[in-house]
Amino acid sequence: MKFLQVALGILTAIGGFVDIGDLVTNGLVGARYGLSLAWATLLGLVGICLFAEMSGRVAAVTHRGTFDLVRERLGPRAGLANLVASFLVTALTVTAEIGGVALSLELATSVNYILWVPMVGLFVWLVIWRVKFSILENGAGLLGLALLVFGFALWKLHPDYGSLVHQVFVPQKPPNERLPSYFYYAIALFGAAMTPYEVFFFSSGGVEEGWSRKDLMIERLNVFIGFPLGAVLSLAIAADAALVLKPRGIEVDSLGQIGLPVAFAAGKIALAVAILGFVAATFGAALETGLSCGYSIAQYFGWQWGKFVRPRQAARFHVAVLLTLIIATGFVLTTIDPVMITEYSVVFSAVALPLTYFPILVISNDPDYMGDKRNGRLMNALASAFLVLIVVASVAAIPLMLWTRAGQ
Amino acid sequence: MTAGRAAGVLAVTVVLVAILTGCVGHAATTGAYRGKAHHSAQAASSSLQTALLAVQTSAKGNLLDPYLDTVLSQAEDDLGSVQQQFDSIQPPNTTEADALRNQLDTLLTKGSSTLSDLRIAARRDQQGEMVHTAQDIPPLVTKLDSFARATS
Repeated sequence: MKFLQVALGILTAIGGFVDIGDLVTNGLVGARYGLSLAWATLLGLVGICLFAEMSGRVAAVTHRGTFDLVRERLGPRAGLANLVASFLVTALTVTAEIGGVALSLELATSVNYILWVPMVGLFVWLVIWRVKFSILENGAGLLGLALLVFGFALWKLHPDYGSLVHQVFVPQKPPNERLPSYFYYAIALFGAAMTPYEVFFFSSGGVEEGWSRKDLMIERLNVFIGFPLGAVLSLAIAADAALVLKPRGIEVDSLGQIGLPVAFAAGKIALAVAILGFVAATFGAALETGLSCGYSIAQYFGWQWGKFVRPRQAARFHVAVLLTLIIATGFVLTTIDPVMITEYSVVFSAVALPLTYFPILVISNDPDYMGDKRNGRLMNALASAFLVLIVVASVAAIPLMLWTRAGQ
Repeated sequence: MTAGRAAGVLAVTVVLVAILTGCVGHAATTGAYRGKAHHSAQAASSSLQTALLAVQTSAKGNLLDPYLDTVLSQAEDDLGSVQQQFDSIQPPNTTEADALRNQLDTLLTKGSSTLSDLRIAARRDQQGEMVHTAQDIPPLVTKLDSFARATS
């Protein structure tokens, strides 16, 4: 039983790692830079592992939500700054995910994505309202494993693996690309791998599932095995784009382009699986981001939250989720390109990261909250080094965005 | 700075960045106009290459019909958008700028027309016609790439 629980957690973490931000950013960067920016994904992976491990441990030890603790430990003003930054970025991500589900359905049906948007918004809300947390979390994560087809397509492309590994570990900026754009996309990949909602959902989910100290090992296995394998999936998407799209000079600006290498290498059935993966990954992330918006507001204001109680007992939490979904759906219906929203959302994730990461680092170090489960020396050294990196990425993101006109 | 003001600054920054990075703008000098022409040529070449890859994949029996339709329509829209944006730029009053405009606009018009033909053939399920039309793409891409190199 324990083994099954661990295996399910890891599989869900792999399938749930990739969302619209990872799909678009890895496809776009792979087609433009090959794997020469894979280091940014790997850095983001280490960062999200540290961030998720700390916040999951905080949830397991304190049985309380992140924003509740941040407000109590750092005060209402710092807590509000954390809330506003996290909520804005997560709400932008919900918008991108809803658009991503609609775009995926358009690829399967050729019905214009705008017509799918209201139905997607409604369905996301219905699932959040009615479906049990464990089914919601595991179902989307397991279906997201369909994206492993990108790895199968990579194998079918018979690449020179030595060359791919060389690109990853000896990165070189393509000679025709400008350095500011190269670093702008490095920050985008870093932001895509370290989206704050993944951590809020992970830790709030821990509270929903009643984690305790004895679950810490499972939590760590999920993070340290599931997330890295999820990142391998991200790299496979980038590698497919590097092998098929880059030699043709194709600049990725739509979800359809990202699936083309799979069809090219592995055929119709593989493409159908990839579309299923797109739908599952974006729909799962829409659920997670929608819930995360509700979690953040309800935890900050001290309202009853979560799906472990009936909706009528957490009415304000469900209203917050509903209003977020209505606004996000309305935003996509303005016909703003969801892929463009995604590109901005991953960069703004990087901008907001210090405001969300720093409080968790403080709390996970506080013996009053954590007792003997506070950060060890190694964790503190790594997490502090990452704080510096996160601040540098955050400060550089907007100037680089303006300088490069969003990576042009 | 209070948390409220910090949030306000963040919101204003988001809007300003979106506006500043999304503007088309005008080209004050021939050099700037050449740069915009260069990017337009690259983007057009990308749209045409996407369509070509989709048609080739479909011809091998590897692409689902709705997927093909969506990718071709998207490529057509993208190329149309590139052309519209390029045409909306006010070129500087120089002979070189006018020549660049005429040269690229001809290629963009030809490309748009080719992608429309492909989309029509795909929706009519005319595989042969689609493959035949797609043969126009490689020479167009070659010209666009040469143009992009010349203006880089």
